[in-house]
Order: sequence, then structure tokens, then C-alpha cells
Amino acid sequence: MAEPAREWSDEQLKSDDLPKKDVIKFLQDNAAHSFLNEHKLLGNIKNVAKTAKKEQLVIAYNQLFQSKRFKGTDPVEDVTEQVKAVKVEEKPKEVKAEVVDEGPPKYTKAVLKKGDKTNFPKKGDTVSCWYTGSLEDGTVFDTNIPAAAKKKKQTKPLSFKVGMGKVIRGWDEALLTMSKGETARLEIEPEWAYGKKGVPDSKIPPNAKLIFEVELVSVD
Amino acid sequence: MALEQLSDVVQRCQALPDDSYSSEDHDVFTVAGRSCIEEGHSPQVLSIVLDEKNQSVVRSMGWNLLPPLVQVLLRKDDKHLPQCLAIFNHLLETCGPKELLIGLLELLEHDDADRIAESLHLLLNPLQKVLLRLGGRKASSLGMTLSSVLDQLAKLPVPDTKEQEEDDVFSLGRCCADLARFVGPFAQEARLNQSSANQLRNSHKTAGEQEEGAEDELRTELLKFCMKTLSHPLLDVQIWDPDTLPLSPLRTFAAEILDILGAVGESLPGLVFHPLLKKKEVPGFLEEEVRYPKNSLACLAHLVFVHHLAADTFPSVFSPVFCLRCNMEHISILLSRTETSRLQKGLELYEKSLVRVEDGSLPADLLEIKTFLTVPQNLVKVMTICPKHDLRTKGLKVFQLSIDKFNTEAKYRFFQYMLRTSSHSGVEGYIIKNIKNQIDAALQPGNGNIWFEGVHLLPLLRKVFSLPDGPETDLLQYLDRVMESLNLLRYLVIRDKITENQTGVWTELYKIEDTFMKPLRVGVNMSRAHYERELQDTREKKKKNTKEDSVLSVSVGGEKLPKMTSESQIQALHSALHTFDMIESVLVRIEELVEVKDGLETAGEPQLLRA
Repeated sequence: MAEPAREWSDEQLKSDDLPKKDVIKFLQDNAAHSFLNEHKLLGNIKNVAKTAKKEQLVIAYNQLFQSKRFKGTDPVEDVTEQVKAVKVEEKPKEVKAEVVDEGPPKYTKAVLKKGDKTNFPKKGDTVSCWYTGSLEDGTVFDTNIPAAAKKKKQTKPLSFKVGMGKVIRGWDEALLTMSKGETARLEIEPEWAYGKKGVPDSKIPPNAKLIFEVELVSVD
Repeated sequence: MALEQLSDVVQRCQALPDDSYSSEDHDVFTVAGRSCIEEGHSPQVLSIVLDEKNQSVVRSMGWNLLPPLVQVLLRKDDKHLPQCLAIFNHLLETCGPKELLIGLLELLEHDDADRIAESLHLLLNPLQKVLLRLGGRKASSLGMTLSSVLDQLAKLPVPDTKEQEEDDVFSLGRCCADLARFVGPFAQEARLNQSSANQLRNSHKTAGEQEEGAEDELRTELLKFCMKTLSHPLLDVQIWDPDTLPLSPLRTFAAEILDILGAVGESLPGLVFHPLLKKKEVPGFLEEEVRYPKNSLACLAHLVFVHHLAADTFPSVFSPVFCLRCNMEHISILLSRTETSRLQKGLELYEKSLVRVEDGSLPADLLEIKTFLTVPQNLVKVMTICPKHDLRTKGLKVFQLSIDKFNTEAKYRFFQYMLRTSSHSGVEGYIIKNIKNQIDAALQPGNGNIWFEGVHLLPLLRKVFSLPDGPETDLLQYLDRVMESLNLLRYLVIRDKITENQTGVWTELYKIEDTFMKPLRVGVNMSRAHYERELQDTREKKKKNTKEDSVLSVSVGGEKLPKMTSESQIQALHSALHTFDMIESVLVRIEELVEVKDGLETAGEPQLLRA
């Protein structure tokens, strides 16, 4: 491809008589795609005219002839010469939230009593637990174990589907690592418990680390 | 006279074998016996009734004496009260439970609130005695009793203020306390059944089928009862917290109902989260919907989450987002009605659920859940047409809170949805203001996001910068929306540098001019011309003092409203004209700003805008 001719001198370029649109058109017609991209000259001429200053265009014009990055000089020039304006859909596409690896798990587990090491719950399984929850200072804020052992026969362990976001994250994550019959002591950082808010009107304050003793009774 | 008849029939029946009394005997006994009591011969009736020889007769026919006896007992100052009470108690122990039950239930029915309250207060205890005599067969009778009692209770007016609850003029509080006391032993029985069933389950034995059936029936009746009370009176009354009203019979009653639910083996989390849990069909007497009516569950959720009743037994391990999702079902139910008490509860439950969630944390996929769209729609109704001012205010507060909890993408989607569906200028204006705040936040250094700047923002802006009917849009009706749109546009033009164009407004501007600013200009001019003409006409009419037969008349409550005076009309027209001036001034300002910015950047370019 023959090199295009320089139409305008520097003086002519800087003159107010030369409209920006003309310069832009020249550049769009003759410069490589990557060049236009770098100089923000892609798109509808009218739009580009609004966002680009005359001085920028002059510089770009000169640079084009210096670098000789004309059309056809890009390694892969199979893009269309007329870059259409960005088409914006009415409904933005689903931007799937990437599963961000947040780093190390925000809880620790100490096994107090071993389980059968065979029956591990999967996501969606129904698990049943006895548990006691306390704060770092020892305050017990919740338990489903009745005070008298005799009464245990009258109450039922807590049942729910694990791994489904129904409980605080620390529980969801920890229970998936426990096997049937296991009793463990979990220390859960606030981020995987009740976070900055805590539970208003309850014993759980904001930014509370929670300690649970959990016995996994059954897995269905 | 009556006394003789009574003695006669009783003596005659002494000779007859049991249950072979004729219907004539029954009738004579009934009529004579009732008359005796009414006429004040209770002492004699008492001795007849207590006589050993008459027990068969009494067992068979005695219950017919209940009506006049109860009348006397209700009177309280009757001189024969002790005797009547003695007769009454004897009958309760001697006569057949089924007949007694029917007799007593009939006596509960009244239309008058005072009578209802007094009857309940008097008769719940006897009813309890009679039911306990039925032993294992009591479940269906208990159900019938509870049903009748609740029907009567429903006729009592509910207190509106905490002072009214304290005064308890219509005795709703006392009746609820009586009712709780009445149900006590049956709930206890259910609780014990449960624990022995658990024990049996644990030791792998099976209980006798019949027993299980009866126990199930009892449990079902009590569950039905609880669900009914949750619907009325509990859903319709305001429960006051202990610091506001230390002694509250209604709050105590609510707590007792929750306790009974536990006694019949229902777990509170199971009930509250019921809409989201796919429960297996429970074979039994009630269909799922009847077993767990939506209104009752909504009331329950409110008691648990807002008033923290049974907080000790409700597990603190559920994630706040999960709780919110479940509660949205209940909130939707509560907000879809117009009664103040329900709307109040709906707003409170919504607020409490949102507060537990961190700002900007709710993801956009929640908007695919139906209730996350119906609840805002309901809120809009509350904010715009509810007659109560404090509910409208609270509605708006909760609306903004719900927006704050969404993450950026969710906010974006939500704003799109609301602009598309709310069809109320004030709401749209409010949303547009929120959009402006989000854009402002996104433009802060380090806060950039793809939703409120750049490519995604433009479709949203296009919805904002539009006139529903082009130049013919009624600017007064759409004022809120139009003003907020103009404010937003002015903000963008000032805040976003033309060279940076982070929001895309500069590349979009020519379109905005075509579809929004120019038609708006035209609209303003047209409206102004129209109203100025109206103003002139009105002034002239006023001068001439001609009486105009208007085509329309407005009447409220049967009374026709007076026609607007010319003075008021003129005032209104001036006000409208002022509004148009206001719109125009912002428009002009925007045009100025655009020119200035453009002028700085594009020397020699033709002017963009001329009005």
C-alpha cells in the first residue's frame, strides 16, 4: 500500500479553518487500527470530535507519518475498516460474579471427638447437629442442648440443608469437612459469621468472633 | 307450681330404669327445672339434684338446666349464687360430657362484647373440666370448643393504643389470659405425648396405632388453634415491647402461643422458613395450606424477628440473607393488604431483616426471585396512596434502606426495573435521584464500576432522559420526574469532564438534546402559552363576573364541593406558570454549561443548541 500523502502543513493543521472532523476522517481512513485505538480515535466521527482536542489531533497526525503505522501495517489486519460505534444492548449481559478466591478460610476447627470418617455431607444434604455457641468472652448466646440430659430425648437436633447459604458461612464450610458422629470446636471469624453488623437486639455484637461446639449427629 | 312439677317428674323417673325416660319426661323436667331456678327456688333444686336417688335422672337430663344457672352465675349479685354454683358444679361432674359440652358452647354465643367476655371468663374453666373428662377421645371436642371460643373472641374489639390495651375495656386481654390458661393442660399433654413418642422412637418400638392417631389428632387441633390465633387477634393487634408496656396480656398471650407450637412439635425455624423449605406432605387431617396459613406464618415471623419472642429458643446460626429471603414471602403477604396493622408489621419486618445485612452486599440474582419485585411494588403503593402519613414516611425510609443493601449491579437492575414499572412521577424522581448518587459514588477516585459509568450507564440514562409523551407530556403531572432528570443532567454536565467522559454523557449529548431537551423546550413553551391564555380568560371572566356553568362538579360524602373561586384558579395558574419557569431555568443553565464546555474544546464548531 502506498503511503498516503500529507495533505496539510503544521500551520494549516493548527488553523481554526480546518475542522477537527476532517482530520479525524483522514486519520480513520488511513491509520492502522491499533494506532487509532491508542489515540482514542475509534468510533463515530462526531463523537470523537467532541472528546478529542485539536492539539491531540495534530500530534496524532504527525505521529502517524513518523511511525508510518498506516492501514495494513498491523500484524493482523482483518478488522473492518469502518469500526462501528459501540452497540449497547438494552439489557446488559449477565456479568457473572467471578468466584474470587478470598484467601485462607476464616475459621478453624479442632476435632474433639472423631467421627466415622466415612459419612461426609455433600452440598444439599440434610444434616442434624447439637451445638453450643459462645462469644470469645465465654458468654453462651445459643444452644440447642437442653440443660438436663434426660430432656435431650424430648428435643431434636437442628436440621438443615448444608452448603446452601442457609446458615452462616463458617458453619456451611466447616460441616462439609466433618463426618458423622464427629464433635468439633469451631472458631469462626466475623467475616464468615455475622460480620460488621452482628445480630442487633441479641447477644452477638458487631465484629464478633464466634465459637461453636458442634456434634454432627446425622447426614441424610 | 314449677317446683311441684319438678318434684313429680323426678319422683316418677326414680322408678323407671335408666335411659328409658320419655321425651315428655325430658320436657317437663327441663321446663319445670328452668322455671324453678328462674323463680328463685335454687336451694330446693339443689337438694333434688344432690339426692342419691335422683342421680340417673340428673345424669340424663340435668344439663338442660345450664342456661338459667349460667344466667344467675353471670349476674354475680344474685342471692342464690352459692346454690346455683353448687348445682352447676355437680352437673359438671355428673352429666355426660358431650351433652355438657354442647350446652356450654351454646351459652358462649352472644353478640354483645360485654356478654361475650363475661361468658368466656365464666365458662372456660368448666369447659376445661368437661373436656378433661373425655380422656383420650377429647381431640375433636377440643377442636370444636376452641373453634367456638375463637369465633366469639373475634367479636371483641381490639385495642388501638397501648393505653387501650392497659384499660382493657372490652376485656380482650383478660379473655386471652383465660384462654391460655384453658389450653394449658392440653398443650402439656401434647408435649408429654411427644417426648414419649421420641423415647419410643429412640428405642425402636412402635406405639399402638390407635394411641398415635388420638395423639396426632390432639396435636393437629392445637396447631389449628395456634394458627388461628396468629391470624386473629394477633395479626391485628399491636404488640408493645416490655420497655413500652411492661405488663402486656397480649404479648404474654403471643409468647404462650409460641410455646404451644413447641409443645406440639413444631419448630419455630421450620415455621418461619416454611415458604422456602420444600416440606414433605404431612399425611393427616389438614391440607398444607390450611395447616400453615400464610397470614399466620407472617404474623409468627413478625413476632420472632421484630419482637424477639422465643428468642432463647430460636437458633442464632441462620445467615441474614437467608432470613431476608424467607421473610420476603411474609412481607409480601403483609404489604399486600391495606389494614394499618398489617402494613405496619410488614414494614417493621422488612426493616429488621434488612438491617442485619451489610450495605451493598445483596447480589443481583436475588432480583430473579418474585418477592424481591412484588415487595417494592407494594411499597410504592404504601408510599404513594396510603392515607396514613407515618406509614408513607416509614415506607420511604425502608425503600431507601432496601436500595442501600443491594450491590452495584443489583442497584442498577433495580433502578431499571422501577423506572419501567412504577408509573408514578414521584417514585421515578426518587429513583433518578438515587441514580445520580450512584454515579457520583462511581466517579469518586477508586470507586469506578461498570454499572454507573461507561457503557452500561447509557441505557439507563436513556430511560431517564425521556419524556413519556414527547412535547405533549403533561409537565405538571410529571414534574418530579422531569426535575430530577434535569438535575441529573446538570450534574453530569458539570461533574464529568468533556475530555474524560467517564459517564458517556458527552458522546450521548446530541441524542439527549434531540429526545429530551428539545421536546422539553417545546413542551414548556406550549404549556406556558396554554396557561397564560387560561390566566387571561380567567381574569376577564372575573372582571365580567359571568357565572359559568361548569361541566363538572365534584361531590364528597354526598356534599357538592363549591366551585373553585376565581381567586384560587388564578393562584393555581400562577403556580403552574412558575413551575414552567423553573423547568426552563434549569434547561437554560444546562445549555449554558454545555456551550461553555464545548466552546473551550471545539473552537470553530457550530453551536450545538439554540432554543
